[in-house]
Amino acid sequence: MTLSRREFLGVVGAAGLVGAPSLIGLPRKTDRAITGEFADDGMATGHALRSGSFTAKPSRVVRVPVVIVGGGIAGLSAAWELERRGMRDFVVLELLKTAGGNARAGRNSVSEYPWAAHYLPVPGPKSTLLRELLAELGVLHADGSWDERALCFSPQERHYRFGEWHGGLEPDYALTARERDEFRAFESLMDQHRASGQFTIPLEAGMRPGSPLDRVSFAQWLRDSGFRSETLKWYADYACRDDFGALSSETSAWAGVHYFASRQKEDPGPLTWPAGNGWIVQQLTKKFGANVRTNSPVARIEKDGNGWKVTTPDTTYRCDSVIYSAPRHIAPHVIHELAGQKTDFVYSPWLTANLTLDRKPKNVGVETAWDNVIYGSPALGYVVATHQSLATHEEKSVWTFYWALAHESPSSARTRLANDSWLTWRDRILGDLALAHPDIRDCVSRVDIMRHGHAMIRPTVGFLSEHERLRPPSLPGLHFAHSDASGISIFEEAQYQGVKAAREVLTRNR
Amino acid sequence: MNAALLVSVFLIASAGLIYELVASSLASYLIGDSVFQFSTVIGTYLFAMGVGSWLSRYLNRGLVARFIGIELLVALVGGFSSMALMLAFAYTSGFRLALYVLVIMVGVLVGLEIPLLMRILRDRFAFKDVISNVLTFDYLGALVASLAFPIILVPKVGLVRSSLLFGIVNALVALWTSYLFAAHLGQRKLLRVASAATLLLLGAGMMGAHKITGLAEDNIYSDEVIFSRDTRYQHMVLTAWKDDLRLYLNSHLQFSSRDEYRYHEALVHPGLASLPMAKHVLVLGGGDGLAVREILKYPGVTSVTLVDLDPEMTRLFSTQPKLVELNGGSLTSPRVHVVNADAFVWLDQNHEMYDFIVVDFPDPNNYGVGKLYTTAFYRLMAHHLAENGLAVVQSTSPLFARMSFWSIAQTLGSAGFKTSPYHIYVPSFGEWGFVIAGRREYVPPATLPAGLRFVSVSEIPHFFSFSTDMQPVAVETNQLNNQVLVRYYEREFEAINR
Repeated sequence: MTLSRREFLGVVGAAGLVGAPSLIGLPRKTDRAITGEFADDGMATGHALRSGSFTAKPSRVVRVPVVIVGGGIAGLSAAWELERRGMRDFVVLELLKTAGGNARAGRNSVSEYPWAAHYLPVPGPKSTLLRELLAELGVLHADGSWDERALCFSPQERHYRFGEWHGGLEPDYALTARERDEFRAFESLMDQHRASGQFTIPLEAGMRPGSPLDRVSFAQWLRDSGFRSETLKWYADYACRDDFGALSSETSAWAGVHYFASRQKEDPGPLTWPAGNGWIVQQLTKKFGANVRTNSPVARIEKDGNGWKVTTPDTTYRCDSVIYSAPRHIAPHVIHELAGQKTDFVYSPWLTANLTLDRKPKNVGVETAWDNVIYGSPALGYVVATHQSLATHEEKSVWTFYWALAHESPSSARTRLANDSWLTWRDRILGDLALAHPDIRDCVSRVDIMRHGHAMIRPTVGFLSEHERLRPPSLPGLHFAHSDASGISIFEEAQYQGVKAAREVLTRNR
Repeated sequence: MNAALLVSVFLIASAGLIYELVASSLASYLIGDSVFQFSTVIGTYLFAMGVGSWLSRYLNRGLVARFIGIELLVALVGGFSSMALMLAFAYTSGFRLALYVLVIMVGVLVGLEIPLLMRILRDRFAFKDVISNVLTFDYLGALVASLAFPIILVPKVGLVRSSLLFGIVNALVALWTSYLFAAHLGQRKLLRVASAATLLLLGAGMMGAHKITGLAEDNIYSDEVIFSRDTRYQHMVLTAWKDDLRLYLNSHLQFSSRDEYRYHEALVHPGLASLPMAKHVLVLGGGDGLAVREILKYPGVTSVTLVDLDPEMTRLFSTQPKLVELNGGSLTSPRVHVVNADAFVWLDQNHEMYDFIVVDFPDPNNYGVGKLYTTAFYRLMAHHLAENGLAVVQSTSPLFARMSFWSIAQTLGSAGFKTSPYHIYVPSFGEWGFVIAGRREYVPPATLPAGLRFVSVSEIPHFFSFSTDMQPVAVETNQLNNQVLVRYYEREFEAINR
């Protein structure tokens, strides 16, 4: 065996690290058993679809007027719209064993928990669809008040910096006077943008295509606007990683501004549940769960006379209309008519993990909040799934850890997601949390990890003004509905796209 | 050099007074009756100083070395006096003995200082100047010490560190003296090593003061601890002194058996006595069974459900003879059903209705307990309250925590209740407040169960009037998404503890 110099030093260093504590009489900490696994992520089916090795020989044929491909929020919202307009002849085909897409949730003996999307900002007056849905679910009362159990309990947010936790997400602790001024200037700039009415949810209500802000990255725009503060830069970067899975240098300034300017200034929220947005998925599937076919990956969509044919491993669906609410990048692999076409949509890869804690780790600074962010970490911190519990005393908890793999190219991050072992990821996650909680390993008993290779569309520079996004492929009877058509992956966009597609179907069928 | 010696007089005079003040303050903190403590400590101290002065005649040779030795002794005994007193209080029953022994020791040693110094200075000044200079600086030191003590030392440094700090001052004077008189001093090295060792000890004491006093303060319950346990939810300590039984949860006093009847009678009777038809009563919190004891005085009440988080608590108050005697065995009454559960979750999962609900939770000092004081909680409670029923909520002190109190009242109002806030005086707590909440206007009762010691029909209407310093203030409603109450409470109790 030969060792390179670097390997040799590595071995010596490692031996030193292992040996040093025993020299001064400290026993080496035994590794507590922290178990877990990769959660159901559909990666294998996805790869088989792409390579063409996924084929289906269904044994039965079902006739149904509308097939919705993809059981995420866009697909479920399309179904919600069809159902409330009295159209109940549809099926929703979902690849995985549970519907919900980015809003799906899990549950263990301690709590329910989200796998990704975990909250809704309290919708403003322009988010009419979302307000209608929330009123229907009893979250928005007739008098305009919100269900107080759905509004995020206090304390909502905190961040860790300089060795302790501080209230709020904005890193406003121990700033220089100059930095403080920059934060104030930034805030008033965002107030102006908010007032402009351009930055709305859903996007289409306010967006003016070709905005100059979409021609420059958020990082560049901040520099051009004279912002120098490292703390502010971190904050902007954090916001882009949080909402778009990208660094501010990879994000359109329009989207970056949208993050700040689209939110209500005086917000009693956000709205959240232990299962995150999975709660909404649960409520929706209560209404039309019988129409949802899980474990039904779609192998092929093709024209079939005047209608369409959708093939899954066990069933062929013949229908008049298809609502395609799966991510757009899969479309050329599934839709026969689009075979070979390429999209240049960029998707951000993410990793989320649900950590089961037997007890709370030690804490320096303010009490545990709902959203807990570690300044300077490459990840996004954690959200406490048990935060919305009514109980006053809780030892056990579930934390949802969020990590947008934004510091490398999406393809290299995807390679790591596919190749690195669960153990490697587990230790990276615990290592990150140990920055703020040195005793985290003594508290966690399970780490379940979800790999999202294509978690969300990335609003890169210019993307929001692009034609392809604005005008999806035109195929009669095939309606595209996915948040990636908006360029911003949020609940409201998915809902808006889904409902829009459903309305097109209803108009066409009339 | 002469000036240097007068500075020494100034410093040792301040130190001497500080020890005396520390001992008096500690004694009044720990056993109360400050007039008595200050008088006896000062008297004993002055008398001991007299003894020291008298003893000084027996010191004849090597005055400077003796003086340094005495300084070092004062530094150690005085410096560590407060720590020793704290520990004596926490771990022994002989606090008073320790107090006076220490006061006499420090007094004697301090009494030796000035006569010795005067004799050392004798050859350097005319006699009248010695007297004049020394006494001037002695009294000046006393003035500075007596001003610094309440203004800087107690609030900023703390009692334990103050005495250690002045121990260090004494030791530095000793070390300094060894240099001033280097020419006339034998055993210089030994004295300097001793000074250095003393400084080191006192310095270590300063570093460790927090740890040691933290430890001691955990054990500071004015009475004998008869039970102490860490349950899953809290740290429970029960103390007893003659007929006074006290319960502390996480170091917060829950009741004193001497006056708890005031609290529990006022909590239960104004509300329950006004509901002659009441049959089913719910108690949330109150695992001590004392509110239940009062409720059981109503023969019409057929069932009492008590929901308390901590099974250890209800078990202790069902079995420990002294406690069972106190609550009259209420928790084992056939009419009483004890449930150990988190109140909010339990209410959410049950559907029973009650005629009277007693809400007796700990004060809202963290976000967990804070949830039990929100509109969400009170709205849920309303679902369990019979049409003509009433609820009563312990609402902390309208005097010490005025914003907290009125925020609770307002929160109940926002949850749709008509509210009637009232307050009483409980000696061990001070002014304490409650809020009666119901769907109709509350009318005070015309009759009460027999045998009450505090509440009477004629007195109840007076509970509802608030003096000027307890009048309503503008506050926010406490909600799950703002938890303003926890912030009010924290701010108000911080203000008191300062």
